[in-house]
Amino acid sequence: MLSFLASEAARDLRRAGRVGLSAILLITLSLGALGCFWLLSLNLDQAVSQWRERVRVVAYLREEPRAAAVDDFVARVQALEGVQRVRFVSRAEALSVLKRSLGTQASVVDQLPRNPLPASIEVTPTPAAATPDGTRGLSQRLAALPEVDEVQGGAEWVESLAQWQRLFELTGLGVGAVLALAAILTVTTATTLVLHARRDEMEIMRLVGATEAVIRLPVLLQGMAQGLLGAAVALVALVAAHTVLAPRVEPLLTLTLGLQRAVFLSSPQMVLLLTGGALLGALGGLLAKGRAYA
Amino acid sequence: MISLHHVGKTFGAGPGRHTALSDVSFTVDKGEFVVLHGPSGAGKTTLLRLLYRDEVPSEGDVQVAGIDVPELRRRRIPQLRRSIGIVFQDAKLLGGRTVFENIAFVLRVIGTPRKEITPRAFAALKAVGLSARAQAYPTQLSQGEAQRASLARAIAKSPLLLLADEPTGNLDEEMAGEILEVIRDIWQQGTTVLLATHQAALAASLRRRTLWLREGRLVKDEG
Repeated sequence: MLSFLASEAARDLRRAGRVGLSAILLITLSLGALGCFWLLSLNLDQAVSQWRERVRVVAYLREEPRAAAVDDFVARVQALEGVQRVRFVSRAEALSVLKRSLGTQASVVDQLPRNPLPASIEVTPTPAAATPDGTRGLSQRLAALPEVDEVQGGAEWVESLAQWQRLFELTGLGVGAVLALAAILTVTTATTLVLHARRDEMEIMRLVGATEAVIRLPVLLQGMAQGLLGAAVALVALVAAHTVLAPRVEPLLTLTLGLQRAVFLSSPQMVLLLTGGALLGALGGLLAKGRAYA
Repeated sequence: MISLHHVGKTFGAGPGRHTALSDVSFTVDKGEFVVLHGPSGAGKTTLLRLLYRDEVPSEGDVQVAGIDVPELRRRRIPQLRRSIGIVFQDAKLLGGRTVFENIAFVLRVIGTPRKEITPRAFAALKAVGLSARAQAYPTQLSQGEAQRASLARAIAKSPLLLLADEPTGNLDEEMAGEILEVIRDIWQQGTTVLLATHQAALAASLRRRTLWLREGRLVKDEG
């Protein structure tokens, strides 16, 4: 019976003709657009998580503490709320880091009459404190310490990246929803045409004693098949686009966002996309069925 | 096999109300061949539709093979219809399928095991003398052949009851005779037959029990 239902659904799909093809194309477009925004959002999300882990607050000290007092000072900072890790950077270490970063120009540093860099502490906030409000509070607590001259760093720009990510996510959902609506309407039209073409067949089926499930399931399956086909084409297009574009944009991603590679949808996400397509198609089929049987 | 008790059927309400059947009572025994005769509009088709639950009576009882048809739950209707073969004036064959496929389609939709479909379809085609035209499409058939194909489709599921609604209405005398021969053969195999016709000569030629319908009323039951 299952093979019969499947073959009837395939027959209906052929009957749907150009309208059926349009429905598949629209589902491809809607899920393709959704997939594009999803990919952008995924990559931004990864950058945001990565940068959240890298958020540091740097407190510059008025004077470099004596070696014996460093541990005590670090322990006091470590005890502050929202602090995960503390690293003391001496003036000498800061100068050596500066030299390393200057590379071939490092000799410029040797020309200086004395080391101009202050000692500092690099504070890594706890994950809960790695937010604009969290780092602002932490900065205030650090600034209140008598040894601290100035505090720099925060999570504002990471949050603005996160806002971009949310914007992409919402735009993707919005565009996807509009296109999905168009796709559902096209599947509904295609299925209504098929139902019109099948009315004699359905009458015969009823008269000879076919159950309602046998009469109606092919319509639903046909809609699902359209949706699944559309989603599969969209997925193939996304894979192809990612394969071609990723190597070209990865250097830019590394430079701007610090991402080593452009991530793609995971297997469960791909299954979700395909399932979404099948559900879109099924919904179109259901609506057409309701309209035809009404 | 069939039992109707004070059956009435009206359509619509108010001034547009139309009485199609009124106080119709009769029984048909298992294995009987009964002709339902009356002019167009007498209520023959409505009566047949009550039997396969395409309509429900406005009043009275309808029983088919022991089933109380009007009281049948919706999901049980397919079970009733599987025990009834129906033939219409227009053969109602599906255009995009061959004669064999038309029969196989019916067998498949009622859940016949796959391996039984081909032998049963060919047995039905043989019974109506249409084996040679199994691969023809409906447009390639004469009206008589199309009606035979329709009969083959009706009997392929081995019904207990065959309802034929003007099966010869579109045919010339010779073709009509052939169709009636096929129906007679089906009846002789043990199937109960109820044949509706407006053709008086045809009803008389069958020399079977005949129920006369006039304006929705059963006016004579003879033979």
